[in-house]
Amino acid sequence: MRFHATFDYVPAEHEAERASNSYLMSLIAVMAGLPLPIINLIATLIFFLGNRKGTYFVRWHCTQALLSQLSLLMINTVSFWWTVSILFRDGVVTNPYISYMITVVLFNLIELIATIYTAIETRKGHHVAWWFYGDLTDMICKK
Amino acid sequence: MRKLFLQSLVIVASFFMTWLLVSRVDWMDIFNVRENTNRLERKLGDLYWEFFNKTEKEILDHEIVTPLDQLLSALCEANNIPRDEIKLHIVDREEINAFALPDNHIVVFSGLIRESENEAELCGVLAHELAHLELGHLMRKLVREVGLSVLISMSAGSGSPGMIKQAMQVLTSSAFDRQLERDADQKAVQYLVNTKLHPEGLANFLYKMSTTENRIPDQLFWLSTHPGGEERAMDILKEAEGMTIEEEKILSDDAWDELQAQLEEL
Repeated sequence: MRFHATFDYVPAEHEAERASNSYLMSLIAVMAGLPLPIINLIATLIFFLGNRKGTYFVRWHCTQALLSQLSLLMINTVSFWWTVSILFRDGVVTNPYISYMITVVLFNLIELIATIYTAIETRKGHHVAWWFYGDLTDMICKK
Repeated sequence: MRKLFLQSLVIVASFFMTWLLVSRVDWMDIFNVRENTNRLERKLGDLYWEFFNKTEKEILDHEIVTPLDQLLSALCEANNIPRDEIKLHIVDREEINAFALPDNHIVVFSGLIRESENEAELCGVLAHELAHLELGHLMRKLVREVGLSVLISMSAGSGSPGMIKQAMQVLTSSAFDRQLERDADQKAVQYLVNTKLHPEGLANFLYKMSTTENRIPDQLFWLSTHPGGEERAMDILKEAEGMTIEEEKILSDDAWDELQAQLEEL
């Protein structure tokens, strides 16, 4: 994560608020959609689509928030269906399953902390670019 | 682009590395998963058998129990299965049926013993049920058809008799899925070969059941819970093809005849 990375311009107050909201949106969605990982993505996607004509700073952060949800979606989906298969098919809890769940919780926790931090910083008008996701967003989000 | 690709690889690798490292810890032991699963199985096994025993008459005659016990002991000994963990029950009923219950109970109906022409056939059925137990198929079937929450509430003593009866029917008169049956057949073939018995016995029994299905359908319970007899018999014979088995009888011919005679007297 690059803290206080440089951005092309100093965002205005309303831009900082909207950009920060994109991260808050994913946080609220995480709380609401914990058992169904797709809800997180849908909520962030709706916010992203709603702001696709916003200013560059807003679009950039909406895109980063959306992309960060994609990788979580994959690992959370696996954990969801693995749990369903245990509850309704096999009934067998194994060590790889427990280890996977702990790893998923760990990665979700890292993402949660990073998201809260980024939401706070962007609200202050600071630019925060995540490792990998920041570079990917630079590539996708055009000025 | 190359940088992004490498970064994505690092993220994926770090996830799998973390998973690998975390899985080095025996969480099953830390969270007492094995113990809790065994406890659940034990309670369900007791519950099932108590419920079943109330309505059925268990045969305890030494002349009938001993030969059956000898057959099961031989199978267990040859396959390193602790015999004292398997609870064998013989029930006086005309239906041709045998099934396994949680916590290593095997129930054999007298009708099935009578229908067996020799010890190889009976051992085939016992080996098959033993395989279901050893492969953990029972809990899988119960979770799939009854549901984990129902099983837990039953084991906690809050299950109604109707609920227990329904869950009982899942094990005694509904079929395992084909894949589980195939797995149990394969395991049973191994067990039989290790016991120096030809798997042909199991194949013959299955084939016999499938060809007499239309004759006395009400009595062929074992076939209804173990479908696809003819096809499975062929698979078993194919698997046993080319195996050199030095067959050894467990019971003498006289002991087998005596067992059948005792059953006739019931």
